Amino acid sequence: MKSCTHKRALHLTRATALLCLLAACAITGKALAPVFPGKVTSTQQQAIDYVEKIVELKSSAHWPNIKPDLFLKDLKNSIHDPVSIYAGKGTNFCAYGALTYLFLQDDPLGYATLLLQLYHEGKASFRKVKFDPSAAIKQQAGDLKYKGALDINPAEQMWFLTLADHYKGYLNFFNLNYDEGDENRFWASANYAKFNRMTRQLLHYDYDAMGADLMRPRLKNIYNYISEKMKTGTVVLFINNRIVHKKDHIQIKLGVPTHFIVAERISMKDDIITFIYWDYGRKTQLQISTAFFKRIVFGITWFTKKEKNAR
Amino acid sequence: MPGKLFCILSFLSAVFLFSCSPKNISTNYYYENEKALDRIEESYKELYPLGPFTIGFTSRDFKKLSLEIITDTLSYIYEFGIDEPRLLDTLKAYRLDAARINTLIKEMHDIRCTWITYSDYYVDEKKQNLILMSIKPVALKAPFSYAKYYVLTYFPQPQYFDSEGRLLDKRSLRRLRKINGEVFRRINNKVCYAVTGHFR
Repeated sequence: MKSCTHKRALHLTRATALLCLLAACAITGKALAPVFPGKVTSTQQQAIDYVEKIVELKSSAHWPNIKPDLFLKDLKNSIHDPVSIYAGKGTNFCAYGALTYLFLQDDPLGYATLLLQLYHEGKASFRKVKFDPSAAIKQQAGDLKYKGALDINPAEQMWFLTLADHYKGYLNFFNLNYDEGDENRFWASANYAKFNRMTRQLLHYDYDAMGADLMRPRLKNIYNYISEKMKTGTVVLFINNRIVHKKDHIQIKLGVPTHFIVAERISMKDDIITFIYWDYGRKTQLQISTAFFKRIVFGITWFTKKEKNAR
Repeated sequence: MPGKLFCILSFLSAVFLFSCSPKNISTNYYYENEKALDRIEESYKELYPLGPFTIGFTSRDFKKLSLEIITDTLSYIYEFGIDEPRLLDTLKAYRLDAARINTLIKEMHDIRCTWITYSDYYVDEKKQNLILMSIKPVALKAPFSYAKYYVLTYFPQPQYFDSEGRLLDKRSLRRLRKINGEVFRRINNKVCYAVTGHFR
């Protein structure tokens, strides 16, 4: 009962804040400003109501290569259809893509306001994180090419580049500053601890992680573990994608994880696992043996909604 | 005598290396296999609109293949042995033209085509599609070229190239267009090639 009262109070606060903001914008005719980003978890409808009120954006002096109309279109599309988040061909943005997919389900209004603040002001703060992207990032965002649909999604370009610029792990130590093309190199890579750190700081979830960059989780039955966790939360897997989606015929490969995916559904019959996951703007169903599944999974991160932020 | 032996060995090494070099393969390969390659491209182009799919051979001996069937909501990835009855059953289950896809698979197998797919790219913010085909020619099995694939792109319309025959972004922008991180070279106005270390 107490939690219901608490939720109702939160809804009222959010609604009031949103109404005040929209009224202020109607009066001033200016672009919408952020609404308490990150303090509470929001719904998709709130985020839709927010972004659909924005008819036009002015170009931002901070991001010279971002076309405002494309930015707005991309942002609206992400809010309406989180599945469409696409990390780009050949980039090392998959961790940021998975994070964004979760972000858009956890706090889409927070995502929208954060990206708009970043766009308008060139920097932004969200919960305790202060994003202040480098000049090289600001120059590059909107101008990434030959990455498939990411080419025409400048909001995602700006966001992924900002995340990669802000968060550093040991894989980034030898390439800390962005140069053209670094989105495909170690500059953008994310190790498992870095991914978990990002989600801890940006999402309103409690999380539990098992596994490591070079060691698989020690579990008797990995299928049982993941399927149990999926009943109560969201599961992200850190997998060795090079043996799942082969790109060459080299038989001896390093057993290292390379890719983050969000588990959507899992079932097993006759030792064959049917697994549906999200990555790269779509959902995929894969059928693999339990032994192969065990071979590819290096990290299992399990997110549960924090009670105080539950919808 | 040692000098003569050295000359002979150098000559043989040069012949061996150049006969198997990616450059040589690239220059000749398409024209030597044009009919078979174009037939595969044509079949794929006709079959794809009936139900999007990609096919790739995932084992070195070309006995295992990966079939990806793409629907509006989900992509389904399956792996089959080339002669497994499950393959045809699956194609039929998705109401694809099983007989023609099976023929396509056999044609791909015969020419060692490792992968065929549609790939998107953007020009002036508009989505375009090309057909991407990877082949592992026998000659590229030579030492030092173990992981080389001959990748062809079939564009739906004529493309622009620089004086060295490299694919350009578009006429007004003198920037090289990269596909999967690779620079491609002209075969004809619509077909380009690259020799790469990966088939997709």
